[in-house]
Amino acid sequence: MTIKDALRTSWKGVTHSKVRSLLTMLGIIIGVSSVVLLMSLGASAQDLIIGQIQSIGSNLVFVIPGASKSGKFSSPASSQGIVIKTLVKSDVDALRRESSINAVAPEVRGQAKVVYEGNDLTATFEAVDEQFFKVRDFKLGKGRLIERDDVNSFERVVVIGGELATTLFGSRDPLGKSIRIKDATFRIVGVLDPMGVGTFGVDQDNLMLLPLSVGQKQLLGVDYYNSINITASPAYDMAYVKSRVTSILRDEHRITNPDKDDFTVRTQEDAVALLGNITGILTAFLTAIASISLVVGGIGIMNIMLVTVTERTKEIGLRKALGATDRDIMTQFLFEALSLTLIGGAIGIIFGAMLVGGTYLVLVYVVKMSWTFTLPASALILSVAVSTVTGIAFGLYPARKAARKNPIDALRYE
Amino acid sequence: MKEKDVIIDVRSLSKTYVDESGETPALAGISFSISRGEFVSIMGPSGSGKSTLLHILSFLDRPTRGLYRFTGKEIGELSDADLARVRNQEMGFVFQSFNLLAHSNVYENVELPLIYSKIAPSKRRAKVESALRAVGLESKALQEAGTLSGGQKQRVAIARALVNDPNVIFADEPTGNLDSKSGAQVMEILKELHTGGRTIILVTHETKTAEFGKRLIRIADGQIEYDGPIMQGIPKDSLK
Repeated sequence: MTIKDALRTSWKGVTHSKVRSLLTMLGIIIGVSSVVLLMSLGASAQDLIIGQIQSIGSNLVFVIPGASKSGKFSSPASSQGIVIKTLVKSDVDALRRESSINAVAPEVRGQAKVVYEGNDLTATFEAVDEQFFKVRDFKLGKGRLIERDDVNSFERVVVIGGELATTLFGSRDPLGKSIRIKDATFRIVGVLDPMGVGTFGVDQDNLMLLPLSVGQKQLLGVDYYNSINITASPAYDMAYVKSRVTSILRDEHRITNPDKDDFTVRTQEDAVALLGNITGILTAFLTAIASISLVVGGIGIMNIMLVTVTERTKEIGLRKALGATDRDIMTQFLFEALSLTLIGGAIGIIFGAMLVGGTYLVLVYVVKMSWTFTLPASALILSVAVSTVTGIAFGLYPARKAARKNPIDALRYE
Repeated sequence: MKEKDVIIDVRSLSKTYVDESGETPALAGISFSISRGEFVSIMGPSGSGKSTLLHILSFLDRPTRGLYRFTGKEIGELSDADLARVRNQEMGFVFQSFNLLAHSNVYENVELPLIYSKIAPSKRRAKVESALRAVGLESKALQEAGTLSGGQKQRVAIARALVNDPNVIFADEPTGNLDSKSGAQVMEILKELHTGGRTIILVTHETKTAEFGKRLIRIADGQIEYDGPIMQGIPKDSLK
């Protein structure tokens, strides 16, 4: 029996009972479309996150309090909400004296109740100085940004995100208006252009930017920083700048043993690699869960193939009488199982791609996210490979059962 | 009879079926030879062992004991794959219940043995058309087999048996499911094939059908009761 004959015979077997074949394939269709959807969403999420990190600016180095000891991709305690007070003004001053660094922007963050004429809501604020805008790429819509004088003279001024402005003021101009933040009155001096949800899920359109001194002393009552953002001088290699930052902070903190570091220095590339790694693991985990449905689909195919072999016992006897060898019969039924999984896989890929497209349309046009349509080749290759393996794995037993039938017993079967 | 003309040679052939109820002997040490070009009718009452004999002769079943040589080769020495190849290339089968693939068309049914001969599809067409011409069904090639009349189905089965140009055609009650007119047509075709030089081995319980043969082997209780020519008077007595 040639491959062409085996394909033709198995195709006839699959198309003979179309509804049954379609129902048999359903498990594979659902499994493959889930794998395609999850892998595509994972890849798009990775693109989005990495894109956002890269959009913050270039040549960035971040310092966060707390050590990251167990490996490159572990998170320091501060990133998990634990307050660590090791980053202070003297660190910033020392970093600003380093020639390989262009700008140093410390910041503290918090949440506060905001009130304007009976409208009240809770919003995130970031207390920054003028260097912050050399590091982070905020687009000013109108007014001005936070300036050095605001920080030095504890001015209660605020720059607010575009959406927050609309929520509080509607179509009125917010510039010059006063709002109450944590029971203190602040004058609005600037409004940011719409930017969407930023890195780490911070909604930049609902953000408030305050002078660093005001945020630290008057709103939070602290003298430490949540992070220090640094822009390296383009003339220097990022690894060098990272090592200089580390060295300066160790000197400032009088640390001689690197294992005792009370801060973590990460470059933009580290952050990209870290988040790429996290989304990769998450995608792989979700894909593995989706793959369980492929195993269930495979069992469904084995079940139907066993029924088919029993139903077609007489046909097997006839084929053997006419000269089919055990191998011919096995090939025929194995190809039939493979046809079911591969056709199911192909339909699953198309269906999965449609789901990816639908998700893209909803996220871009309804949720207004800057989402990308990604259909990774790895998802398609994995789907075809898994469909093939499922077909062989779950088709083998029924095919062997068919091949081993005694011709005369098979011919007599009623 | 020249040794080289002997196509089937069985010696002390026995077959015993074993199941929970014990052993059931179907054939009890029978011996005979069939030469190339013979038309042999095998008869016997139900349970006499005639179908078992046909199945062993056509390699669909194996004997429990005894010797079976097909075209000089001892079949006990052949593997299952070798037996399948010999069945495919040197034997043709016509069954009582036709055994066609009901959802395939006439052409595809006749083509079936050629698929297992690994003959290229381009060379199959001429062979299938020739076989269909031999049974007068060339116009039905594309008709689904399940929609044919009983007589037509059996003619398709004969075309399928012929298509690989086999040495022997085994026919197991070929008229058993047909009306007398269709049965006569089928037997006429087998008779023509014999006239053309083919060896036909026919199992039947109908005297009229058996009379198309030239030699009769009558079996009772697993043993040969009569083995000789079919002539006026003599065989008919033996058929009663």
